[in-house]
Amino acid sequence: MSVSGVEHVNGKAGRRLLSSSRRDALTRIAVGVITALILIYILVPVFWMLKSSFQSALEIRANPPIWFPGEPTLKAYEDMDRLIPVWRYLWNSVVVSLIASVIATLIATAAAYVLARFRFPFATLILTLILVTQLIPPITRVFPVYTFIQSLGLLNTYTGLTLAYIGFSLPFAVLLLRGYFETSCPPELEEAAMVDGCSHFSAFWRIILPVSLPGMAAVGIFTFLNAWNDFLWASLLLNQGSMKTIQVGIGDFASEGGGVQYVNLFMAACVVATVPAVIMFLFVQRWLVGGLTAGSVK
Amino acid sequence: MGEVTLTDVRKNYGALEVLHGIDLSISDGEFVVLVGPSGCGKSTLLRMIAGLETTTSGEITVGGRLVNKLPPKDRDIAMVFQTYALYPHMTVADNMGFSLRLRSISKAEIAEKVARAADILDLTPLLQRKPRQLSGGQRQRVAMGRAIVRNPSAFLFDEPLSNLDAKLRVQMRAEIKSLHQRLGTTIVYVTHDQVEAMTMADRIVVMNGGRVEQVGSPLDLYDHPANMFVAQFIGSPAMNVFHGRVSEDQDAVLELEGGGILPLGKRATGAEPGQRISLGVRPENVRLAEEVGTTSVQAKVMVVEPTGAETLVNAVIGQSPVVASVKERLRFNPGEEVPLGFDFGEVHLFDGESGDRID
Repeated sequence: MSVSGVEHVNGKAGRRLLSSSRRDALTRIAVGVITALILIYILVPVFWMLKSSFQSALEIRANPPIWFPGEPTLKAYEDMDRLIPVWRYLWNSVVVSLIASVIATLIATAAAYVLARFRFPFATLILTLILVTQLIPPITRVFPVYTFIQSLGLLNTYTGLTLAYIGFSLPFAVLLLRGYFETSCPPELEEAAMVDGCSHFSAFWRIILPVSLPGMAAVGIFTFLNAWNDFLWASLLLNQGSMKTIQVGIGDFASEGGGVQYVNLFMAACVVATVPAVIMFLFVQRWLVGGLTAGSVK
Repeated sequence: MGEVTLTDVRKNYGALEVLHGIDLSISDGEFVVLVGPSGCGKSTLLRMIAGLETTTSGEITVGGRLVNKLPPKDRDIAMVFQTYALYPHMTVADNMGFSLRLRSISKAEIAEKVARAADILDLTPLLQRKPRQLSGGQRQRVAMGRAIVRNPSAFLFDEPLSNLDAKLRVQMRAEIKSLHQRLGTTIVYVTHDQVEAMTMADRIVVMNGGRVEQVGSPLDLYDHPANMFVAQFIGSPAMNVFHGRVSEDQDAVLELEGGGILPLGKRATGAEPGQRISLGVRPENVRLAEEVGTTSVQAKVMVVEPTGAETLVNAVIGQSPVVASVKERLRFNPGEEVPLGFDFGEVHLFDGESGDRID
């Protein structure tokens, strides 16, 4: 009886094991399918943009759609600058985004370092205010910021737009870097440097800054992409033709019919607008991942 | 050259005083260990010597110079941190030579000094590695190397072995002691581990609640603790302490709080009949007796811990816990009654109220 009892238990346990492994396999398949669907959802528009930039407008509009160009051509890239000054817009975007990114990162680094390291009156209040700015919808800032930039006489200037970008990026950048300083740059590093012969400033310059490069890279790419992808502020604060950024330029081009009649040129311009952000991302992605995750584990 | 003196040193955080007037004189070349429980102020005191914390009042001198107002870099001290605080973006050689570069010393001289320190600490093959490529023990040695290349008046160590595993800690303990013997530089060393303090120090400073409880050589503190705190802090396992009242009659027994009596023997001479006292006896001075008599009492065994070299018998007398450390490899069942005897020549008596030594 005991033997049959054991067999009975073994049989049940075996069936449970089998169904458990089957469940695991089904879960893996389900995860794979969902991941593939999400990837398709994200990548198909990118693929459509890329392949369309190598096709004629007629081929793009063909029904059924032609997914792979029969005779890939660079004509759209050659012609796009005739309709809108793509390279000029691109240059405007690069300049504004880079300057905003560098200045915001430097200011955020200094501010975050002070907030992470020093005790002073109202430090908590300042941090709370910085956090609160993140809760306010950007659209509500339109009127005050526009009026402010106007009162400074900076409408239709790169300086005005750059200042706006710096201001919008700073709160998040400060919070991110403050967390980085607190978790990834232990105060003992500065103390060791000060015992070794550094002043507060030289300890910051020689030790903390190099150690913080991953965090700064993360903030740099974040502020750059913020500025690069912006449409709202660039269209509000700059309205002279040649001063437009690439996002506004392409947007205007689309609204003026370019997206239909010259859809291949439009797609080529979109590819050109995407490339700098991708290059920047690939360049700093190692630091970016390190910067965002450093300090999360010991 | 490397004397360190502290005169009535106090530290306040706002209205809260955390160090209550520390006086201490450390001779040139001495190895002094500050030991005490967490929060006793030992690290704060070390950081004040280093200049990483301000001194509220009192005087700190290093090498005969008043350093209260000097920044850390001008105090001629080097410090080894608990977390090593190695610069992660620099190689071992750059870490060790960093302080020399700041002093505008020539590259050749820096290389020579770094090589010499690396040789002492067995770091030569690791000079071009980054800190992340080193083990805990190697990092610890680099931190020491960074300190010794400067040839400072005094080394300050802030719990440098706390992050190492037990085996490496024992090894590094010996290395630090041998380094001190070789260099002869003053060392002020902070630890909460009394074994580290006992094995390394020329003198130990026992701190508690922002005050110095006792200063003395390791064996002096072990044999003659000034009060009950020192008695219980120094020694592992800790000293057994029995609280009770000296009997009013002539038998000189201690009536224990929670029941039971202990014979006091000749050591009762410092205590008055009726006085509340605490009797301390080290575990190695508690032995298994043949039978209960005038110098032994009945105890109930709770746990037996064999360590190989000795056996720790955890028992209770009445409700008072007692640990006996015996050489024999014994087996007892929990709850078993055994007679325990004390070496009355080695017991310590403390006042029941103040905790001060009375014998």
